[in-house]
Amino acid sequence: MRIAWRGAELKLLLPILLLVPFGFAVTNVALSGALETGDLTMAVGYVALIAVAHVVLVASGHRGDQLVLPAVGVMGGIGMIMLNRLPQDLAGTRAFGLELGMASTQLLWFAVGIVAMLAIAVGLRDDGILRHYKYSWAAVGIALLAATMLFGYEVNGARLWIDLGPVSIQPGELLKIVLVIFIAGYLAETRTLLTSASMRIGFLSVPPLPYFLPMLVLFAAVMLIVVRLNDLGTALLFFGIFLTMLFVATGRRSYVLIGLILFVAGFYVAYQMFGHVHARVDVWLDPFADPLGAGFQPVRAIYALGRGGLFGEGLGQGLVTLGGSLTIPFVHTDFIFTAIAEELGLLGAFALLGFAAVLVFRGLRIAALARDDFGALLAVGLTASLGLQTLIIIGGNTKLIPLTGITLPFVSYGGSSVVASFIMIGLLLAISHRSRTAEEASES
Amino acid sequence: MTSDIVRVLLLLAQLGFVALLYIVLMRFAGSLLRDLRSAEEAQITSRSGIGRLSVLESPADEPPDGSTIALGPINSIGRNVNNTIFVEDDFVSANHAMLTFRGRSWFVEDQGSTNGTYVNGHRIERAVALSFGDELTVGRVRMRLDR
Repeated sequence: MRIAWRGAELKLLLPILLLVPFGFAVTNVALSGALETGDLTMAVGYVALIAVAHVVLVASGHRGDQLVLPAVGVMGGIGMIMLNRLPQDLAGTRAFGLELGMASTQLLWFAVGIVAMLAIAVGLRDDGILRHYKYSWAAVGIALLAATMLFGYEVNGARLWIDLGPVSIQPGELLKIVLVIFIAGYLAETRTLLTSASMRIGFLSVPPLPYFLPMLVLFAAVMLIVVRLNDLGTALLFFGIFLTMLFVATGRRSYVLIGLILFVAGFYVAYQMFGHVHARVDVWLDPFADPLGAGFQPVRAIYALGRGGLFGEGLGQGLVTLGGSLTIPFVHTDFIFTAIAEELGLLGAFALLGFAAVLVFRGLRIAALARDDFGALLAVGLTASLGLQTLIIIGGNTKLIPLTGITLPFVSYGGSSVVASFIMIGLLLAISHRSRTAEEASES
Repeated sequence: MTSDIVRVLLLLAQLGFVALLYIVLMRFAGSLLRDLRSAEEAQITSRSGIGRLSVLESPADEPPDGSTIALGPINSIGRNVNNTIFVEDDFVSANHAMLTFRGRSWFVEDQGSTNGTYVNGHRIERAVALSFGDELTVGRVRMRLDR
């Protein structure tokens, strides 16, 4: 393997070396009130992890996209600054005789995630294993779901977690990736059939059913189970990913239209049938109806956004506590965006959105440059997943759409989410690397 | 007194932090723009780009092993030198197959060859739609359709 210098990546990573420790220092000064930078080991550890990722990519001669890792690095850095600033007993691990606070646990998961990302980005030289075994991947997905249904336990009314002794994992995060791989493999194979032949119902042209049915059945099954598990955010996310990939594969607007009609109908049925969907929508429409009960978190979140204003309250200076505990209980996961907007203001929140936008833009570019249909569809699916997740949770935080509990990629606290997001970045880098090397081989 | 100094410094640090975020974001934007420009130039100078064939295996080395063939909208494949894609292989017929770009996708059709045309290892009977990444085999020559 030849070394490939990644100059653009290095240039963008250098400011992060400054940014993250600086953020930690400002937070520490604000919290202690003394002019001391405080303990910066966590910040140094984070920066070191990102640097190691860069060095490994350079050393292995990786030719993949150079903006993805820096964008992830900044988002993760902002997340680490916030998580370090929050009370450390909100979450954490107690395993193997170690007792870790929230930020240290997150740092550990970042390490695991980055190792997974590098293994995939460097190790996945052939996508055959993803492409040819798509039904096996679908089976893995179903198995994950079944495991969650059988052995899972509930947190806040949604059954998402499986307890594995020292750690709990959220299989839904991995299911997301597996589902994208399956849909990409299926659509890459049947794409031409789906576009060339079609049936008509009235003015809508619908996909030819024989080719479409297997995927529709699987997808409907996944959706049903996810809704049964009360995981509305994930259901919405899967639906969005599916429609995006279908549109990109076929270029048919009518499919998207049909999908949206189905979505509205399905949502209406869920609204009528399930109490928790009803409750979510009611809280969304008027959180102030029950400000101390159901509307407690949303109301606090709106106040927090308001306190933040344009410039923010300052790192380490926001986050009102009531009787010693934070007013937003899920500030480290679902509501991390609110915390960022409160302490860094609208400007800081916009900057975070900007980095997420860079990530999505590069993901779509990787898809456009991909060598084959499978790679392109896979990249689109992964990018849609990261982008939609960001949109759904930020929309929920800002009361644009009903709140659904999913994580903000790379920012929210949560091992499964961090590792899954890094696996997605690894896949994107692998696709990008393969198209670049193919390009150069054909030129020489 | 000291707390006042701390407060002022904190305010400056806070603004500095947000400013730093935007400086980093601007550098990203710069990188994006540079990339877009160079991609534009590359597009002007290089192929029109509806697709190309990468030669994976070619025992007689015509087309050369490992080479890439730029494709027009209509390509004929065969052992006759008048074909757009000339293949030197004893198992290939004079006029072996047609590879055409119609509408939005690629199609391949066998021209009544003796040994047949294969897509991903399956012999084709009529015109078959190809996806990018599919393997096309005529005689002993294996090629892959790439974009």
